[in-house]
Amino acid sequence: MNVNLKIWRQGSDSDKGILKTYRLENIDPNISFLEMLDILNIKLVKEKKDPVTFDHDCREGICGSCGFMINGRPHGPQKATTVCQLHMRAFNNEDDILLEPFRAESFPVIKDLSVDRKSFDRIISSGGYVSTNTGEAPEANSISIEKEYADEAFLSSACIGCGACVAACKNSSAMLFTSAKVSHLSLLPQGQKEGKDRVAKMVATMDEEGFGSCTNTGACSAECPKEIGQINIARLNQEYILSSLSGFLKKKNE
Amino acid sequence: MSIIKLLTSSVGRKILMAITGLLLAFFMAFHLFGNLFLFVGEDAFNAYVEKLHQLGFLIRIAEFFLVLFVGSHAYSGTLLWIKNRKAKKVVSSYSKVNTSSAARSAAFTGSIVFIFLATHWSTFWYKFNFDLQGMSYYYVVTESSVGFGSPAVSIFYIIAIALLGYHLKHGITSAGQTLGIVGTKYEKIYNNLSAIFWFWIPLGFILIPVWFGFLVRVI
Repeated sequence: MNVNLKIWRQGSDSDKGILKTYRLENIDPNISFLEMLDILNIKLVKEKKDPVTFDHDCREGICGSCGFMINGRPHGPQKATTVCQLHMRAFNNEDDILLEPFRAESFPVIKDLSVDRKSFDRIISSGGYVSTNTGEAPEANSISIEKEYADEAFLSSACIGCGACVAACKNSSAMLFTSAKVSHLSLLPQGQKEGKDRVAKMVATMDEEGFGSCTNTGACSAECPKEIGQINIARLNQEYILSSLSGFLKKKNE
Repeated sequence: MSIIKLLTSSVGRKILMAITGLLLAFFMAFHLFGNLFLFVGEDAFNAYVEKLHQLGFLIRIAEFFLVLFVGSHAYSGTLLWIKNRKAKKVVSSYSKVNTSSAARSAAFTGSIVFIFLATHWSTFWYKFNFDLQGMSYYYVVTESSVGFGSPAVSIFYIIAIALLGYHLKHGITSAGQTLGIVGTKYEKIYNNLSAIFWFWIPLGFILIPVWFGFLVRVI
């Protein structure tokens, strides 16, 4: 199959980017989307041109490295699929395919399709951890967790932190990401030690990083490659309300 | 967490918007209850408004809180809107629409409702309180030029209330999400009740200009 690629080329965040057109012919429809970009890059290198920069690592849909906009949608047209798991058979012969980086002020462009998502790391390091004792691994069955909580926590923990939610959101809000991390830990007994401080810290960092606020449009969940649900955002809000209430009560007792 | 930190965080502002928004929606139900006296008859409506006036001081306190709720709802909404605009990188590109238009247009419909409220206060509220000029309350609403005697007022009223309903369609579900009602056992009952506020109550308001502004003149 043949495809016409329109790819966003940008040297750095301060540069002005432009869309450049590339044509690839005789592409096997069963190769992955990233393999198609590899072929393009080999071609560009051979022609002594600047290859297209894009993020990728595991190519198994679990690491969260890959991700850019394909025809205006994060991770492309296929539901619950990361770019690396997308195949060329999802497109038609002679299709025009538009590739752009995730657009958000909190995700500065490194180069071309690669964006800096360290703001996510800073949200995580502000509260997305649990305190455990060092030493031997604890006995696996010493903490019993009800099945429904374990299942819900597992669904939240499926978030790979790729940033598609921010790119899909009209406000560039990181609420789905942050709420998935908050839910994941707050649903489990191991996450209780940090208690309600976690959500307060993570929301504060999220605001500082310049992400927008959630207006509950649900675009994030619609585009999430891991199908993280809106329920996580409701849980974050619950945690946040409880956190502020417990904060007031603590102050009164002091 | 201090109260200032709570109220200036993005989630805190949304909680404030959700609470004030829901309180205003409850007020709408009360407001509609009064308006429906128009259908009972001229004397009933005039007597009802007169009763409210006799409450005097209490009404002023209630009005103060209503203005406070509208103000803080609009203020928080505007600040969040600015923050959201800043967070978005504006580039010449397109993205696929995958959300409801009620959700995307909430800031726009809210702005129109705000303009409507401003005219509502400067006409009905002002006339009722300070500028009756010997007219009855019933006459001001149904016949005068600031009321449904003017087709332009009626049409603007119908459009604004319809947009208010559309605003609430997103607003009420959104408040459920922001207040963490979604995902609890109250979610179902909350969603069932929401239609009263975004559909049936606005419909009740719309019936008034439709009847007194147009139908009553034709029939």
